[in-house]
Amino acid sequence: MAYYISEDCIGCTLCAKNCPVQAIEGTVKQRHVINPKRCVECGVCGNVCNKSAVLNSKGEVAQKIPKAEWKKPVIDTTLCSACAICVTACGRDSLAISLPQFKGDIHVFAYMANEKQCVGCGLCESYCPLHAITMKVGEGT
Amino acid sequence: MKRSQLTLPKYALIDLSTGEVSNYPISEELFRNYIGGKALGSRLLFDLMPAGVDPLSKENVMIVNTGPMNGTGAPSSSRFNVSFKNVMTNGIASSNCGGQFGVMLKAAGFDGIILKGGAQSPSYIEILDGEISLKSAEHLWGLDAEKVQEEFDPHWGKLVIGPAGENGVHYAAAVSGERVAGRCGAGAVLGVKNIKALVTFGTNRATICDKEGFDKYNKKFINFLRTHPMTGNSLPRYGSAGLLNNANASHALPTKNFSRGQYEHADKISGEALADTVLTRNSGCVSCPIRCARRVMVDGKEVKGPEYETVGLFGANIENYDLEWIDTINYVADIYGMDAISLGGTIAFAMELQEKGMADFGLHFGSKEGVLEAIHDIAYGIGAAKELGLGTKLLSEKYGGKDFAIHAKGLELASYEPRRSVGMGLGYATSSRGGCHLNGGYAALIETVGVVAVDTQTPKGKAELTVFFQNMIEATSASGFCLFTMMAVIPGFLSNLGPAHPITRFVSKFLITARPVLGVMWNMMPGILPFNWMYLVPYAQSLKLATGLDITAGSFLQAGERAFNTDRLFNLREGLTAADDTLCDRLTKTPQDPGKPDTVVPLDKMLPRYYRVRGWDKNGVPTPEKLKKLGITVSI
Repeated sequence: MAYYISEDCIGCTLCAKNCPVQAIEGTVKQRHVINPKRCVECGVCGNVCNKSAVLNSKGEVAQKIPKAEWKKPVIDTTLCSACAICVTACGRDSLAISLPQFKGDIHVFAYMANEKQCVGCGLCESYCPLHAITMKVGEGT
Repeated sequence: MKRSQLTLPKYALIDLSTGEVSNYPISEELFRNYIGGKALGSRLLFDLMPAGVDPLSKENVMIVNTGPMNGTGAPSSSRFNVSFKNVMTNGIASSNCGGQFGVMLKAAGFDGIILKGGAQSPSYIEILDGEISLKSAEHLWGLDAEKVQEEFDPHWGKLVIGPAGENGVHYAAAVSGERVAGRCGAGAVLGVKNIKALVTFGTNRATICDKEGFDKYNKKFINFLRTHPMTGNSLPRYGSAGLLNNANASHALPTKNFSRGQYEHADKISGEALADTVLTRNSGCVSCPIRCARRVMVDGKEVKGPEYETVGLFGANIENYDLEWIDTINYVADIYGMDAISLGGTIAFAMELQEKGMADFGLHFGSKEGVLEAIHDIAYGIGAAKELGLGTKLLSEKYGGKDFAIHAKGLELASYEPRRSVGMGLGYATSSRGGCHLNGGYAALIETVGVVAVDTQTPKGKAELTVFFQNMIEATSASGFCLFTMMAVIPGFLSNLGPAHPITRFVSKFLITARPVLGVMWNMMPGILPFNWMYLVPYAQSLKLATGLDITAGSFLQAGERAFNTDRLFNLREGLTAADDTLCDRLTKTPQDPGKPDTVVPLDKMLPRYYRVRGWDKNGVPTPEKLKKLGITVSI
């Protein structure tokens, strides 16, 4: 079951702008719609909605969470194999593979390159095959 | 494992002439026997295409598909496959490519897409969240492969053609991100079908049968690759071009259109030189911990760096040692959408024709002059260079020079000189898609460029080893794994000891001595290997845990054998015979070193043995008993 936007939506576009998989469509001042085939149930739309217009997959109203309390990925660089699955999964382009520190450096890893863009959806954590990513509040790397 | 737990692959058939999309069911039997990727692709082509179709017509069927491992998080598992009738050889074609497209195709809800017929006008195919639509590409037609990809969302998977594909260059490639499904003319087939691009996106997760077991095994597998000297150090450090110095040292680096095997300036174009000079960083396909891809600067812009093949064929093979120029050629070939191997081979052939006064394309060995312009003209079909777009075989039929036309079945050879790697020579000659090192079994890895060095000149044992590797490669590709992971199958400690160490030499000798065992084991498959062991066939267990198929090392290798035989049947159906399992006179009759008569490819000694090990008759036709044992039901 995907998330759902109720009639309380005022069409502020915040959810569509923050959705990490571009699953939400709608124009300004129009009620927005979540594409159920695309929705990954990360809850970001609910976290940003000022009007409590987002219902989660159980039909409950999702509560807004202040930005400072959003979870951020913490990457264990000793485990990371730089396979870039997280980089591909991240629809916000927040993650990247680090640059070599010196000529011939092959020990690179995923890191938070663009923290402002991160919405704390947790897709990176769920995709990481080595479980090198943990979502934590206030500890973004 | 219960049978009901199997998730069968989901294929869609698109009739491009009408735009109609239908579901194409894959039976459980086909899934069990052919797994996916190129193996399943070859089998489906039998059902979907009659014999004798012109590969450059809309009747050619193209299958773009993935293997079960794509998108599971298994290491180096982003490879997808394109199968169709080969433009270069008229036989079977499959081209394997990394990058993001395969993973995204699966995320969009499909394991494979079948393209039938051709669109009336330039179109592209959009595959989003389980929905497929055919859209107009009038505004995209004419764009190069880089620009056309910029027209779509950067998060989407893309498979596009450049001008070469639009203009019918026989070896035009399909480009996905910075990776290329290069060989056999995939781009030309898409061009004939009027398809400029396939784009895909979705958020579906791959189904994994035993999640907990898979996760655990996966971690072990990734760390195995990361700690192996080849996949954990050499490949990430030097890329595939790191093989060049070894090839040169063993006289297996094609130089001057395969007339020699050593290039005096090889050190200036090696992977080591690349890492010391132009390399900005390494890179890789999604899901791959190896990261063998290179990034280099071309005209102030960071782009994909060259692979071993490009460096070899645009370096030593045309006698050039300007590495930065090779970077430019590599980039240009990609954005025009051409296979760098066939392009490099054809240009070297044109240079030799020029040198011998048999044709005039204005191209000369040792000179870069005119090459970039010729590549442009080939892609756009302009002037005299347009003919170079036909490839070496057709050029040799027109201008002569068949004795030095370096191709097998019509497809140009990769950058390994087979006269100093005779197993590779056998592989080139028998490969189902033509002169391909990978489909040919890649014996060069154990003969010249790898860590073990079996006798490069002896015909003994080469048939057995080639059959083994060909089957292994088929099954690995069918699963969706990258073939570079196979380098880890050669034990890491041998890498550390080096080829000259007595233990490594013993192992090399043993591989030849053990040939009777290797020769008969295909008759005892799969029972002879009823287990899974990471250090022998790491893929089988991964596949078993992910799909629920009951796979052992034995049945995995047998699936590869089944696929190779299916390819062979396809080729026989299209009129290719044992007479096509050959190489030009330069490679089979003229010794590379005039002082050493054994520096030729002794195909006459290896082929009969090869057919026997394969269970084929002396005409290279699979026997009914072999087909029955493998459970192959198609007939020709």
